[in-house]
Amino acid sequence: MLSRSTHALIRLAILLYWTLFWLFNLIDKAIGGAHFLWVGRDRFAQFQKYFASAGLDAPDIANAALLVAAALESFAFVFFAGALLHFLKGRAAARSWAFAGTLFTLGTFTFFSLGDHWFGDRFELLEHTLFWFISLMSWVLFTRLEGAADALPVLPRRPWLTAGLLTGALILVTTTAIFRHNTDHFFQRTAPIAAEPVGDHLYKVAFPFLGGSTVFERSIAQFQQEHPNEMIDHIYTVPDPLRLKKADALIFYIATQDRP
Amino acid sequence: MNERKTLRLAVLAYWTCFWGLSVVDKVIPDVQFLWVGKDFFALFIKFFASLGLKDPLFATAALAGVSALEAVTFVLFATALVTHLRGNEERSDAWAFRAVISAMSLFALFSIGDQVFGDRFQLLEHGLFWLILAASWIVFKHPPIDPEHPTTSPLKATRGYRPAFLAGLLLTLGTGFSIWQFSADTFAQVEAPVEGLEVAEGVFKFDFPFLADKRVWETTVNTFKADHPELNVRYIYTGPSELNAKKKTHLLLYVFTEPSR
Repeated sequence: MLSRSTHALIRLAILLYWTLFWLFNLIDKAIGGAHFLWVGRDRFAQFQKYFASAGLDAPDIANAALLVAAALESFAFVFFAGALLHFLKGRAAARSWAFAGTLFTLGTFTFFSLGDHWFGDRFELLEHTLFWFISLMSWVLFTRLEGAADALPVLPRRPWLTAGLLTGALILVTTTAIFRHNTDHFFQRTAPIAAEPVGDHLYKVAFPFLGGSTVFERSIAQFQQEHPNEMIDHIYTVPDPLRLKKADALIFYIATQDRP
Repeated sequence: MNERKTLRLAVLAYWTCFWGLSVVDKVIPDVQFLWVGKDFFALFIKFFASLGLKDPLFATAALAGVSALEAVTFVLFATALVTHLRGNEERSDAWAFRAVISAMSLFALFSIGDQVFGDRFQLLEHGLFWLILAASWIVFKHPPIDPEHPTTSPLKATRGYRPAFLAGLLLTLGTGFSIWQFSADTFAQVEAPVEGLEVAEGVFKFDFPFLADKRVWETTVNTFKADHPELNVRYIYTGPSELNAKKKTHLLLYVFTEPSR
């Protein structure tokens, strides 16, 4: 039984993680773009812009690069899924399959890293190198944990009960706080914000964290209704360095002039 | 498949490519046809200028020094790779060790620079690269494989190999078909103007797709002007990232207008 071995559970978690990781990457490629119930990432747009920045505008080039990535990801998924099945059936072949999946994973991130150098995206280079490293390390972990481990000691009843009660109390407190916050503040998702005069023909609008484009548009419409004799000259968005770290959400100023 | 050799090859191949392209990036300045890369010269000039060292000689000398070290690191990794491919494990170990020490010294040097210039994000980046190098050296030198039995059961002999290979091919074909379909459906967005929506009196919102770039912006503004001769564009406001529904929208643009006189 899997549950008898802590090693086996961690090995199962590794295979499950990579299987799901590549499955969702494939789904993301197959769906393309944002839809109802799926946002994902528009990889075509990303690749097309990368290649266009190097002077290669044709969409087929981006498509071909995406196809190479999709092929590597497909095989990584298939081998990890196969490793998972072999593992669940207790077969030694799980290791070979997991190794093949790891090689495809390393290959995929090496391929992406080449592109990051080429297109000068240092943040993605860090991200892909980290994933390359995580893949390598998870393989090391997977092989190091081969073989049975000693079962963890069974905890006595009293600590279980205390932990259970404490957990229950914490769940109750946090859930109540979250639902109360939702009841009290969700209107901020759409409600317009009143502009506060801060100078001559100058108004400040401080956004709540829940505010988005709807709040912005409604705030502008409300401002126009409340100030029929003024017209918006320009809007100044307070840049990050002028905000109080994470305590301030978006703040902008509306500069106006009198209507002629 | 020899797991030990393959894993060591994967580590060497990654770092050889990494340093090889880092050197290429230094050789090719700025953005060229078929190469974008990162403008390290501009970065170094700005870093040194922030210290009060505005003479470009400082930045140029520092960049040349870094590039020289990168070239050394690349050659060491490439030599380790070649000796590995020739099957000489002992020599490959020796070259790889020199390469790792050289690369770790480079990242240590970068980290000192990041502290001096106050760039904490780059400090994190270089610290992570440093750690990854050290850890990948451990995996390279001591892979979790018994050296007495470096070969596991061949993949081809395991159950389900052929169906898996077929499934991989079918998945690739299916995903490839979706990619081409999506590309054909959306590529027009590379230059098509975005349609505006009036969200307040005289204020129009333009929700730019991910494929849009500066050309789309120009076409959009010109098309808007042509479609609305009765309006004058007074002011254009770029919606900050806080206005975007996370990841879903690429860019929001608001055009403020007034009636033409």
